[in-house]
Amino acid sequence: MYAYDTFDHALVNARVAEFRDQVDRRMTGELTEEEFRPLRLMNGLYLQLHAYMLRVAIPYGTLSSVQMRKLAHVARRYDKGYGHFTTRQNIQYNWPKLSETPDILQELADVEMHAIQTSGNCIRNVTTDQFAGATADEVADPRPYAELIRQWSSFHPEFSFLPRKFKIAITGAQEDRAAVKWHDIGLVVKENKEGEIGFEVLAGGGMGRTPVIAKTMRDFLPVKDLLSYLEAMLRVYNEQGRRDNKYKARIKILVEAMGVEEYTRQVEEEWEKIRHIPIDVPDEEVARIKSFFAPPPLAVLSDEVAEVDDLAAKNFIFKSWLANNTGRHKVPGYVNATISLKPHGGIPGDASDEQMDLVADLADAFSQSEIRVSHEQNLILPHVARKDLPALWAKLDAAGLGTPNAGLLTDIIACPGLDYCSLANTRSIPIAQTITERFDDLKRLMDIGPLKIKISGCINSCGHHHAGHIGILGVDRKGTENYQLLLGGSGAEDASKAAILGPGFDEHGIVDAVEKVVAVYLGEREDGEEFLAAYRRLGPDVFKEAVYGSH
Amino acid sequence: MAKKVTGPQLILANRLDDGRAVFLTAAGEWSKQVADAAVANSDDELENLMSVAQAAEVANQVVSVTAVAADESGKALAPAHIKFAMQSRGPSVRADLGYQVSPNWEQ
Amino acid sequence: MALINLTGIQPIDYTALADEAKPGEGETIAVPVAQLIEENADLFATAGSVGAIIGTETPFDALGDIVGKIDFAVIEFPAFGDGRGFSLAVRLRKDFGFKGEIRAVGPVIPDQALFLLRAGFDTVEASGERKAAFEAALERFPAFYQSDFGGQVSVAHTRHSAEGQRKAS
Repeated sequence: MYAYDTFDHALVNARVAEFRDQVDRRMTGELTEEEFRPLRLMNGLYLQLHAYMLRVAIPYGTLSSVQMRKLAHVARRYDKGYGHFTTRQNIQYNWPKLSETPDILQELADVEMHAIQTSGNCIRNVTTDQFAGATADEVADPRPYAELIRQWSSFHPEFSFLPRKFKIAITGAQEDRAAVKWHDIGLVVKENKEGEIGFEVLAGGGMGRTPVIAKTMRDFLPVKDLLSYLEAMLRVYNEQGRRDNKYKARIKILVEAMGVEEYTRQVEEEWEKIRHIPIDVPDEEVARIKSFFAPPPLAVLSDEVAEVDDLAAKNFIFKSWLANNTGRHKVPGYVNATISLKPHGGIPGDASDEQMDLVADLADAFSQSEIRVSHEQNLILPHVARKDLPALWAKLDAAGLGTPNAGLLTDIIACPGLDYCSLANTRSIPIAQTITERFDDLKRLMDIGPLKIKISGCINSCGHHHAGHIGILGVDRKGTENYQLLLGGSGAEDASKAAILGPGFDEHGIVDAVEKVVAVYLGEREDGEEFLAAYRRLGPDVFKEAVYGSH
Repeated sequence: MAKKVTGPQLILANRLDDGRAVFLTAAGEWSKQVADAAVANSDDELENLMSVAQAAEVANQVVSVTAVAADESGKALAPAHIKFAMQSRGPSVRADLGYQVSPNWEQ
Repeated sequence: MALINLTGIQPIDYTALADEAKPGEGETIAVPVAQLIEENADLFATAGSVGAIIGTETPFDALGDIVGKIDFAVIEFPAFGDGRGFSLAVRLRKDFGFKGEIRAVGPVIPDQALFLLRAGFDTVEASGERKAAFEAALERFPAFYQSDFGGQVSVAHTRHSAEGQRKAS
C-alpha cells in the first residue's frame, strides 16, 4: 500500500487546518452558506435531510486494517455506530456535526486518510478494480497509476472549479470491474507489442439523466505521458464544458456535442504543446510509487485443500460462498474473498463499527492486513490462503458477513435514497430489502446465477441503474414514490445502457415485476446462458408481455 | 422546491451546527418536533414566518430554510410530501434513529 | 475595495475606459478584450499603457492578436466557481508567454488565493475586510503536487532532488 511521506502528511494536515478555519469562519458568519458550500463539498461534507453527511475517500478502494479500525472508531465516536460504503469505493457517515468534522478529518489524517475532493466540481476519488494486484486476469496493478492521478489531481490550481464533477476510473484487468466506460475518463491498462505498459484512454462516459458510454480517444498512451494527457483533456473540458446548465455540464455532453474526433484533436493539439513541460513526474517517482504496490510476500501453496473440499461437500452455504465470493489470485493457493455487505433484508453497503473492527482483525489474520472496497458496495480481503477459508468464513458468518451472494441477484447496488439524501425522489433501500427478502432462497439464487440489480432513488443515478442487468429508477409521481423498470444494462467491458421497459410501479409492484422478469429468464434461457445474454438474445418484448400483460 | 405550494404550510430548516432538521414554531423558535411547528394559512402568515426563518438564517442559526405543504388531516401535524415527512421522522430503514425514536432523541 | 498582492509585483493603477470614450494621452487604461480586437490602432497609439479586460467566456485563442500589445490583463470572474478564469491565466502565461500583471476581479474568495497565484495571477481585487483572510490563505500549504506558474516545483520532482530527499527523510 502507498505510505505517506513528509510531503503527503504536510499537505493533508494543511488541508485539515484549512478546513478547521473554514468551519470556524462559517460558524461566526464570516463565510455565508453560499460561499461555504463549495468549500465544504470539496471536503466531502454535504447537508442531507436529517444531518450533515461526510464522505471519506478510500483512494482506489484500498484500506489497511489500521485505517479500517479508524473508520470504525469514527463511526462510534462521532456518528451512530455505522458507515455506508458507496459505489465510489468511499465511506459515508450520516450524522456528523459540522463543528466536529475538523476533528474527524484530523483523526483520519493521522492514518493517511482524508475527504479531499470527494464532492464538488473537481476531480474526484479515482476508482479501480477491487481485486487490483490480487487477480489472475490482470495486465498490471492499476493502483500506482491511480495514486499518481490522486496526487496530480489534489488541490489542482486550474481544475478545482470545473463545470461539473469529474470521475476517473482505471482497470488493469481484462474483465472490467471498475465500470470504466461509465466514467468521465476511463483508463484501461494495456501492454503493447514491445512489452511497454500504457493505457487505452476513453472519454465522455457518464450516467445521470443522459447516460452515455465513453468513447475511445486513444488505443495506447505510454505511462510517461499519462498526466500531461489528462491535463490536456481537463483543460479543454474546463474551457469549453457548458456552465449554463448543470445537467449539461458533464464532459459527456461536450464530447457528444463536439464529436469525439474533434475533442480528441483539440486535446492532442494541446498535449503536443505541454507534453515536454515537466508536468509529468520523473521516472524515479513512478518507481517510488510502484514500489509501494509490490506484490505481498505470499509463499506458493497448493490449490488442493482437503479441508475446504470436505466442508463444501457437506455445507451448501459454504459451497456457495466459495463459488460466488472467492476469485482466482495471481499466486497459486490464494484467493481474493468478497465479504458481502448485502445480507438479505439488510441495507446494502452498511457496516457497523463492530463489523468494521472484525474485518480489520480478519485482514490482519488472513490477508496481509489489507482490505478493499468494491464499487458494488462490498468489502474484499484480497490475499487469503485457500486453506484459511473455512476459518475465515466461520468468523464472517457468525458476524452476519458471510452471505454467499456476491454477483447474484441479491448483491444489489442501492443509493441511500430518500431515507437520507436530500436530492432523492424516492427511497431505494426498502426496495432492495424487499427484493432480497423475496429471493431469500440460496438454491433459487444459485440457479438464477449472475444477475446485477441496481437501484437509484433519482435520476442522478448514484445507484447505477443505467448499468443494471435489471435497473430500477425511483421517480416522484405527484408526490408518491414510483419505480421504473429498466433491463439490459451492463457496467462491464461489454457496457450497455439499460432501457425502460414500460410504465412504473409502486413499491410492491416493482418487486413483483422483478420476479416476473426473472421467471421469463428462467423459462427462456438456453443451457448455461446468463440473464444478460438471454435478454440480449430475446429482446424486451417477451419481458414486457410478462410484466404488463398483452395490452 | 420551486413549486408553488398552496394551502397550509410549515417551515423547516437544518441547524447550522449539527444539521438536524428543525421546525419553526409560532414563538419564532426552532423545534425538533414537527408537532410544534407553526402552520401558515395565508400568504401574510407565511411571509411573517419566512421573515423570522430567514433572519435566523442570516444569524447563522439554521440553513436550508424551506416552506412546505402541511398535512393536518391525520392525528398529528406532518409535512405533506414524503421527503419532508421523512425529514420529520428519520430514515424509514433505521427505526432506531431520528425523531421517530422519541421526541427527545439525542437531547 | 482592497488590492491583494499575490506575487509582490508593482501593481498597475489603471482606469477602466468608459464605453465610446477615448483615452487621454499617455493614460493607463483597461479595455474589454472585444473592443481591443476590433479597433485598437488609435487606442494603443494614444494611451500610455493598455490592459485587456477579459471575461471568462473568452476563448483563449482570441487573445493571440492582442497579447503582444497589452501590458496587463484583468480577468473578470462572474462567479467564484467559474473556473475558466484559471485556465485563461494559465493560457496567458503558458501559450503566450505573457509577463505582465494578471489581475482577478469579481467575487473570488480568500480560499482561492493559492489557486489564483499558482494559475498565474498576480493581484486580486477584493473587499477590504477580506484582505487578512486572503493573506492567511496564501500561507496555507507548504508544498504542492503540481508545478505551477507561481514558480513552485511539484512534490513529485522535489522528492527526487537532493533537497527534497533531505526534507522527506
